[in-house]
Amino acid sequence: MKNRFSKEKITLVNELIYEIKIKDAMTRQLIFFDKNATFREIQLKLKAKKISGVPILNKMKDIIGIVSIDDVISAFDKNYVDQRIADYMTKKVFTVPQNFSIISAIHELEKHKIGRLPVTESPNSKKIVGIITISDILNRLLIETQTIAEKIEEEEIKKYQLPEDLIKNSLKKVLKFDVKGDDFDNAGQAASTIKKYFKGLGADKDITRRIAIICYEAEMNICLHSLGGTIVVKIDENQNAMICAHDKGPGIPDIDLALTPGYTTASEKIRALGFGAGMGLPNIKNFADEFELKSSLISGTELIAKVKLGVKK
Amino acid sequence: MKLSKIVDVCHLEKIVFGTDCEISNGYCGDLMSDVMANARTNSIWITIQAHKNSIAVAIIKDIKAIVFTNNVPVSQEMIDKAEEEEIAIFITGKDSFTVSGEIYSLMEDKTAKD
Repeated sequence: MKNRFSKEKITLVNELIYEIKIKDAMTRQLIFFDKNATFREIQLKLKAKKISGVPILNKMKDIIGIVSIDDVISAFDKNYVDQRIADYMTKKVFTVPQNFSIISAIHELEKHKIGRLPVTESPNSKKIVGIITISDILNRLLIETQTIAEKIEEEEIKKYQLPEDLIKNSLKKVLKFDVKGDDFDNAGQAASTIKKYFKGLGADKDITRRIAIICYEAEMNICLHSLGGTIVVKIDENQNAMICAHDKGPGIPDIDLALTPGYTTASEKIRALGFGAGMGLPNIKNFADEFELKSSLISGTELIAKVKLGVKK
Repeated sequence: MKLSKIVDVCHLEKIVFGTDCEISNGYCGDLMSDVMANARTNSIWITIQAHKNSIAVAIIKDIKAIVFTNNVPVSQEMIDKAEEEEIAIFITGKDSFTVSGEIYSLMEDKTAKD
């Protein structure tokens, strides 16, 4: 399993290293010297810029050599740090043209065991337009994979969305259900109907399921704990599915306590049927994007839960 | 895994069995809100709660099949509702622990071979 996963990853990167051009990954702010520079000057620059080598260019910006940190160390070792680099620099320089894919840069870097490659304007030119290192390549690959991941995410979101005109047409439609107190057999009907309604609209399966769960729990609450009430479901102007559950009382004395998972006032009879686990309200809260619960010991309890439908523009 | 395979291997008694659908998950629980919160889609659900509300929970959660354990009595009303909603229901004399274990081993074995 692990193996297959890593292979898939490599396939994507493999594609990318053939697709991405060197010019899109390289560093364009070029640090370079001419042949009259001394090793000490270069050493100071390398240190200041935290880099490990610089190309040596002539006035035409053509490459004539390269000085790496190893060359500087040798210069210190053999006591010619204050001399000009012209006679000591590495003159056999490997380069890559900017229009090649980064795979050629990777090959060159690996083949010659070097850390950086000056990039030429074109295959036959010696004019340097940038420099590329393995970290430039990794950077670019990360950005590309990030972009691909974001695109996939966007497409996923789009898949979940309803067309705007469908939402508009549904705005006026209100689904209303009366729920009787203590009527177990018919409880669950509203939730089933609402699920079918949103499924019919073409809402995403997960969103539909969340709406149905909220309706079910609200419906069961009215049935188990109240004297009866109503469930009203509609789509509001902000394109949320809005579930309003209202009952005739007796009301919840302590809302915070009622929202505590596991807390229940259900009777033994109710619990024997598998209800009254003290999870109804916490479930509603978890599955809703917005949740509001108001209760009065005089006028009863009102619950409003909203689930974002997400609308395709 | 095909539902028929689970039914055959675990010797479940068929009460309602329409299409032989694909089962990819399972859940065992007798608290409606727990099942509501945690069961996954295309599940087989093992429970002792045999009443019409069990069918409602199954519909909402896209549970494809319910196994009632300990030979709990099943009402005609519930059977009618299950038929109407195309939820498969089965009954067994075994307890929930045993049936869950059997189905789990069967599905894990299948997954491992895949």
